[in-house]
Amino acid sequence: MRGKLINYLIALLIILTLNFLLPRLMPGDPLQAIHGGEMLVELTPEREAELLRRYALDQPLPRQFANYLGRLAGGDLGRSYYYAVPVSEVIRGALPWTLLLAGSALVLSSVAGILLGIEAGWRRDRPADRALVGLTGLLNGFPDFLIGALLLVVFGAGLAWFPVSGALTPYAGLAGPALAADVARHLALPLTALTLANLAGMFLLTRGAMLGTIRERYVLTARAKGLRDRTIRYRHAGRAAMSPVAARLGVRVGRLMVGLLFIETIFAYPGVGHMLHQALTMRDYPLLQGFFLVIAVTVLAANLLADIIQHRIDPRSGHAY
Amino acid sequence: MSSRMSFQLKALFLIPALVTCLLLGTLTGCGIDGREPAAGTSEPERLASYVIADPNGDWGFPSPFSHYQRGPGYIRMSLIFETLIWKDAADFVPALAGSWDYDASANAYRFELRDDVTWHDGRPFTADDVVFTFQYLKAHPYPFADTDVVESVTADGNVLTITLSRPYAPFLETVAGTVPILPRHVWHDVADPEGFRTPEAAVGTGPFKYGDYNKEQGTYLYPANPDYYGGEVLVRELRFVKVTEEMTAAALRNGQVQAGSITPEMAAGLEESGFTVITSPYYWNAKLMINHQREPLAQKEVRRALAYAVDRREIVELAQRGHALAGSSGLIPPDSEWFAPQAHQYPYDPARAAALLEGSGYRKEGAFYARDGKTLELELIYSGGGAGSTNFTRDAELLKQQLERTGIKVNLRSMEAKTVDDRVLNWNFDLAVSGHGGLGGDPLQLNRAIIGAGFNSARYEADEELSAVLNQQLLTMDKQERLALVQEAQALYVAEVPALTLYYPNRYFAHDGRIDLYYTRGGVALGVPVAINRMAFVR
Repeated sequence: MRGKLINYLIALLIILTLNFLLPRLMPGDPLQAIHGGEMLVELTPEREAELLRRYALDQPLPRQFANYLGRLAGGDLGRSYYYAVPVSEVIRGALPWTLLLAGSALVLSSVAGILLGIEAGWRRDRPADRALVGLTGLLNGFPDFLIGALLLVVFGAGLAWFPVSGALTPYAGLAGPALAADVARHLALPLTALTLANLAGMFLLTRGAMLGTIRERYVLTARAKGLRDRTIRYRHAGRAAMSPVAARLGVRVGRLMVGLLFIETIFAYPGVGHMLHQALTMRDYPLLQGFFLVIAVTVLAANLLADIIQHRIDPRSGHAY
Repeated sequence: MSSRMSFQLKALFLIPALVTCLLLGTLTGCGIDGREPAAGTSEPERLASYVIADPNGDWGFPSPFSHYQRGPGYIRMSLIFETLIWKDAADFVPALAGSWDYDASANAYRFELRDDVTWHDGRPFTADDVVFTFQYLKAHPYPFADTDVVESVTADGNVLTITLSRPYAPFLETVAGTVPILPRHVWHDVADPEGFRTPEAAVGTGPFKYGDYNKEQGTYLYPANPDYYGGEVLVRELRFVKVTEEMTAAALRNGQVQAGSITPEMAAGLEESGFTVITSPYYWNAKLMINHQREPLAQKEVRRALAYAVDRREIVELAQRGHALAGSSGLIPPDSEWFAPQAHQYPYDPARAAALLEGSGYRKEGAFYARDGKTLELELIYSGGGAGSTNFTRDAELLKQQLERTGIKVNLRSMEAKTVDDRVLNWNFDLAVSGHGGLGGDPLQLNRAIIGAGFNSARYEADEELSAVLNQQLLTMDKQERLALVQEAQALYVAEVPALTLYYPNRYFAHDGRIDLYYTRGGVALGVPVAINRMAFVR
């Protein structure tokens, strides 16, 4: 396990370097992107020089990188160019909503995907299995934003069962359970969209793993012992099938983040996706670094968690290193 | 063993679920600060609340130095902070100054300030605040208002005199009508205006007070100022919420919002449902940027051939599905008072394009023109869209067809919007489809779009006469004389074709009719193209 931790640290260092370099390798520069596009405001040479100084972009790249690392060590993520507030403040504001939406979607899509996958694998080639495989295959082919747009048009704009934007009704004077219900109502459509978009992967993965484990001898043994069907399905075959599923957790978190960007945009839902997109178009280097760092650490943590879970499920997996 | 495993598996799913529940609790605690809904309205004529949709939501804290550097940010601030004078749909109107005049001999403007104005914190507004504001802006420039031209600001009782260092025709619009006046007692010791974001930083004189701003949700709350000197404020509470433009029509219909900009496709349906739909003047143009710094487009004849080879009407009909007005070659749109009707328009004429190319030594070889064995081949870069940037794909594809019909080979290349801007800025392109606003405001914008330094500017300085006329119009205080110069500049610009306006898109704003919202003449203040003018809420 210690060897693995060192691997993770090395990965983190490489990520920090890339986080710093990649935004600066993009064509375009933050001054033009933020201050050059508005025709009503002229970016005079004096102002340009002043901004370059303020953003410390007049310094050589290695010095900028050293400063970034130095400040990061002190827990300072820098100041956003566009929002002109500390990056940590921007992230702190957006992150809870993202965790709510993406976290719920991850849990729901995992639970539903695993349960359905186990059931379908168990009933291989029977009508229920075929229907599920067909349905998820279809879902898998849909781009995330299309699922979101369909839900929005039908249940938001058409039937008006759910609000069409935002995470809560602003200035409605709600508190306590009423506010929680309001948040849940706003969450329903984006959460359904993101869950559906991520369900298929988990389902197909679990089902595939199930198909391997139901042929194992211990399943036969369990049957011979006269155990109940459900017990064999979940405690024997299903549990063993979890190993490859858990191993993919990190990858799935990464994929979820991509879908999140579209879903947040379509539903005007607050969160990291929208902010990240804004930061990209504005070439807001400190904010990009901050978001990349948060996302990278999340994916790394998910991978680490996956490793730990996998090790628990199947202790043999740890010896591979 | 197996039962323990099963428990662990359950726990694995329970933990995130619990975290989610906890988060929900935190969010409800730190979300929007709860406010009591307006209880039984005793004044039937005043609306309890009015909600405006905005696709982006967040435009920064509504104080002069902390709103974002975009027009809608200025609007959020302008509901609270006022200027010396203001504009309505037709003309300049009094604001903090009840009247004003220009003394040509002294090159100074005199403003008679109102004496019945109080700040939102109850302190009286005085000429001293205006003098202070201009001093403060010298030390801390406000990007929306360039006050360089102001030589001195002096007050004598309620009479304020602003002396200019040179004649400057845009002054009323871009300085007197744009500079937000700050309360001295609040700002006198503020050293970091950008970081100043307490409610105190939003103390103004306007019809609305600061209530709340939520960055994450992209929402604003403005309670009416009951003591407003300018009249009765028609709504008790004004709100802005974030709604995508695609969903604004649905939000209007279900009563979630009362106003917002809408996509052209929705205009007719909303009008049928009883909403008021207003059409924006043409403030924005899509433009064909031409690299006149390198061959072959450095030759004026080739640029003119290009202009004849482009069918702008077809672009409007096919690429814009009719929701636009074909571009005027002189940049300024026909609905502007500064438009030059006599300027040449380059009607679609492939034969003249061909003649101009042949006159420049090109011969047709197969489908395309060539000179010295080299095919006339241009790369056209454009942005394929993405949230927040315009998608020019259809325009670009049609341009390619049109130019190739005449015999100019075009290679299309789609890239992200800011990359297009960057390549245009660095002259690393042949042709680019791009666009910019600001066309409604003072003809100062013509200078910015032709000889300005930004990537939206043609940056064309090869014609000295054009540059001279442009600079002269800024110094010309007589409006008729100025109009003649502005029109002359457009004619010269048309002759050089340093860039070509393709079209002006139609833009619509819908509201429920209870507040008579309108587009301000030339855009709000220095030209913000938004149908939200604080005076629409005042009777």
